[in-house]
Amino acid sequence: MISRKLARSLVLATTMALGMTAAAQARDLRININADPEMIDPITFSALIAGDVLRNVYENFTKVDENGKVLPALALKWTASADNLNWRIELRPNVKFHTGRPFGAKDVKASFEALLAPGSKAGLQLQYLQRIVGAKDVQDGKTKDLVGVKIVSPLVVEVAFTAPDVLFPIYPFMFFDTQVVADKGPNWFMQTSAGTGPFQFVSWQRGQNVQLKAFKDYYGGAPKIDGLRFVVVPSEETAVTMYEAGELDVLVPASTDLSRRIMRDAKLKAQAQMTPNAQITFLGMNQNLYAPFKDKRVREAFCISIDRDAMTRGLFGGLAQPLYGQITPGIAGYNPSVKKIAYDPERAKKLMADAGFPNGRGLPPLKIANLAPFRNEIAYYADQWKQVLGIQVDLDIQERATFLRSLNAGETPFFSWGWSAGYPDALYYLSQVWHSKSPFNRARYSNPGFDALIDRATITADDATRYRQYHAAEALLLDDWGTCGLFMRTAVTVVKPNVKGVVLSPMRILPYGKVTIN
Amino acid sequence: MTAYVLRRLLGLFPVLVAAIILTFAANRFVPGDPITIMLGDQGGNVVLERKLRAEYGLDRPVSVQFVDYVSGLARGDFGLSFRYPGVPVTQVIKDALWISPLLAAAALTLAIPIGIALGVLAALRRNTLADTGIILILVAGLSIPNFALAAFFVWGFALKLGWFPVAGWTTWKHAVLPVVILAIPAAAYLARLARTFMLEVLQQDYVRTARAKGLSERLVVWRHSLRNVLVPILTVCGLIFGGLITGTIVVETIFNIPGLGRIAIESIFARDYPVTMAIVMLFTLFYAVINFAVDVLYGLVDPRIRVEAVR
Amino acid sequence: MNGNVEVVADATGARDFLRRFIRTRSAVLGFILVVLAVATAVLSPWITPNDFSRTNMAFIWEPPGQDFVLGTDAVGRDVLSRLIVGAAVSLVVALSVLSIALVVGTTAGMVAAWKGGWFDAFVMRTADVTLAFPDLIVAILIAAMLGPGIPTVILSLAVVSWPGIARITRSLVLSLRSELFVDAAIVSGTAARTILLRHCLPNIVPALIVRASVGVGFVVMAEATLSFLGLGVQEPLPSWGGMIRDGLPALRSEPHLALAAGTALGLTIIGFNLLGDGLRDLLDPRIRER
Repeated sequence: MISRKLARSLVLATTMALGMTAAAQARDLRININADPEMIDPITFSALIAGDVLRNVYENFTKVDENGKVLPALALKWTASADNLNWRIELRPNVKFHTGRPFGAKDVKASFEALLAPGSKAGLQLQYLQRIVGAKDVQDGKTKDLVGVKIVSPLVVEVAFTAPDVLFPIYPFMFFDTQVVADKGPNWFMQTSAGTGPFQFVSWQRGQNVQLKAFKDYYGGAPKIDGLRFVVVPSEETAVTMYEAGELDVLVPASTDLSRRIMRDAKLKAQAQMTPNAQITFLGMNQNLYAPFKDKRVREAFCISIDRDAMTRGLFGGLAQPLYGQITPGIAGYNPSVKKIAYDPERAKKLMADAGFPNGRGLPPLKIANLAPFRNEIAYYADQWKQVLGIQVDLDIQERATFLRSLNAGETPFFSWGWSAGYPDALYYLSQVWHSKSPFNRARYSNPGFDALIDRATITADDATRYRQYHAAEALLLDDWGTCGLFMRTAVTVVKPNVKGVVLSPMRILPYGKVTIN
Repeated sequence: MTAYVLRRLLGLFPVLVAAIILTFAANRFVPGDPITIMLGDQGGNVVLERKLRAEYGLDRPVSVQFVDYVSGLARGDFGLSFRYPGVPVTQVIKDALWISPLLAAAALTLAIPIGIALGVLAALRRNTLADTGIILILVAGLSIPNFALAAFFVWGFALKLGWFPVAGWTTWKHAVLPVVILAIPAAAYLARLARTFMLEVLQQDYVRTARAKGLSERLVVWRHSLRNVLVPILTVCGLIFGGLITGTIVVETIFNIPGLGRIAIESIFARDYPVTMAIVMLFTLFYAVINFAVDVLYGLVDPRIRVEAVR
Repeated sequence: MNGNVEVVADATGARDFLRRFIRTRSAVLGFILVVLAVATAVLSPWITPNDFSRTNMAFIWEPPGQDFVLGTDAVGRDVLSRLIVGAAVSLVVALSVLSIALVVGTTAGMVAAWKGGWFDAFVMRTADVTLAFPDLIVAILIAAMLGPGIPTVILSLAVVSWPGIARITRSLVLSLRSELFVDAAIVSGTAARTILLRHCLPNIVPALIVRASVGVGFVVMAEATLSFLGLGVQEPLPSWGGMIRDGLPALRSEPHLALAAGTALGLTIIGFNLLGDGLRDLLDPRIRER
């Protein structure tokens, strides 16, 4: 294995030395990921790194461009009925799955049914299907047929809802060829690829890399590169060196430390792309697991003890801005007049004293949990709480998969975390993270007023009205100090100058279908 | 001789048994229920929970699980990983299996000649500046932990001088710094031993006789002394190899090498107990087998063992 | 090891010992380094210039300079202060480990040597089996069960350290048994416990001191390794191993964290090893100059 690599690098070196750079290179594009993807199959999909990989393999009705604008992908046209209880979706013709079979309305229905099947362990996508007529019956195992989805013709599907679901077409589904489950069994995703995206899944060598190869029959045109290799590099220093040594083409930093370092290195900075990241960050204070959090004054005290300005200047080196609410600027439904959170240590001290914990006395032991790349953030918060409130908060650095699982189980009493927008609408943040019925409400926050507003918003078709409902819901959440925003990072990506077509959007790197390497 | 070998083999047994029992116990009596952890947000899903429990065999009585575990070990089956549901442990570690022993073997190959040479040199130049200098270097080599050494080496050779890559595992250059860093403490340990043995041997009667007879210094050193030093050195190699194997744990983490050591650490944090335990078993096995092999070798080489009746 | 008995029983031996000690340069160097480390640890509450966990958003990754003698780390904490407190943490852990290992080891070794029979066999077998596991592996096993943290480090290192001490104690006591003065005590009906504690223990002490001083170096190294891997001392407590781990990613532009912690760690362990070697050279008659 080593000698093949050596041979290849020798050939590459010779080629470049001979100045033969005119022709575009057909080889793999190498990108780093800082941990293994959490999963590799579209059904259980629910997490970030998996998303970065799978976005290139599976597609949805729509896609987003670098400005957050919604464009057609597998669906060319979508129309809502007058009462908003029905969506008619016209699909793109001549789309093939990686398996060779054609994509059509039957596959939309079959994908939904696979997600809803009992014991499917379905992830994010399951929630988007809750309002479809007959969904509950399929979930309960009463039937395998999702009656709410009607196959009108091979390329037209009509979906009926129990209540209006205005954002249905932009929900990020991952349509796959369900036939493959019958062919290859329940672990099909480790052996074969069944999406429609520009790249197909080839292999996943745990701890090493995920290999994708170009899909020649992609409807948008075959990619000009051989494939994608997502290299697992847990150590950021290693990733930088690999990038500089030419072993990576795209460098994606995970920690703020590395982003800062990149911007301070002239050579790396010149090759860097930056964009604000459509990701909210927040403090998760689980009131069921840590009693003092039940008191609103305690929650507020924790929130206002953090100097967001100093943090974004110092820790992030300017590569972030303070986030006060739970919607990021640039996403549909953002409230520019959201109330700012001032750094107020005096008020924080008073609140804690009022709540019965003067100078932190009497508080049970407390730990804040997060991952290793973000240890600096929580070290800063912990220190602030110690300085301002007199509370000793220990740091609980966990491993990614364990952390996510315990978050999802609602077992983490105190943490800081984020949520990246899956589609360009504030509903994504508000409903997924703070609605009491969402499985991804990791702090298990429950506010009936908030829930009611969100429920109403999901059936409001008029954008302006809906956005007002978002603002109201957000205000309820923030006034109750159910959480507080922390910061909005500027995403940084470094790309080799001979690589073109890598697009960093607020919703992470777009699929690499149009990348060329010179 | 056969009695000796058999006795040594018998000594291996309790270690392996202890390893098996300990790893099984650790696997079962861990904090938290692994199935609950695996379910994550599907916590209330009873159908799924039952399915997972059956898949992992956790719904049977402990004694049955133990028998299954042991018979599985005999077949080379370490069970299923917790972190990657449904994936056998053997699959998680099979690609990494050859890397750690390879690093350790390379380090040993480097350490033996360097260590012996340094030790002999120090012994021959005893009490001179060279001796003291070498001793201090050796102590430094033994005392500075390998990750601290790595910090200095990477800063000096990789970043400042640019001779070697900082980390990774694709070309032969990636192996240099890790192997060197592994070899240093081993070489230092061997050098000190070599020096001690050499000093003892040089005092022996037959060496003094050879010197008195006027034989050249070189002949004295090579023919008469060195051979006697090599045997005890050999016996220590087993111990050293064991230390090297565990040293790979740190080195692989630093240099991002996808070996067993790195997987062991990751699996601890990921609470993937089957994988952790499998690697613990393997490392213990390596260690025990190497020591056994060295013991046998020693028995073959040292005539006293061959003749001896009962210890 | 009978030579040890002679050394201590001789009244002028102590002075002679001290004289020879001072003449061994490396041992003195080791002694100085150890005193430095211990003094730093003991005086740490008073000599740290800043609060070791105080973050400072305005001074991130400061190079060594006026305000922060050794610079700051990724969240603006003072490296020097963390280094000093790290000394205290490492030494407290090492002390705990050694205390436990010494108590357990000497007790087991003495009782095994005295009682003999099945107890002796049991203790020795257990020691052998424990020694058959590489030390880091034992630590990993315990870390997997208990989770990372200081208790894990102390427990696993104590488990790995006691067998060696038990072995030494046992062989020493066995050889002492045949000594005249012990025989006399037995004959005169002295209780076993008195014999062991009053007569044997003092004669074992030199060997134990040697063993302990070499052992401290090993324990400090092992604790640093475990902290480096993330299994040991957890934030916000600083540890040299952890600081090296934090400093490695910044090595190219801000090497001061990793290099400072690496130097402190290296010098401390070198000190303990030199001291231990010096003591052993001085007390073990086999290696003494002829």
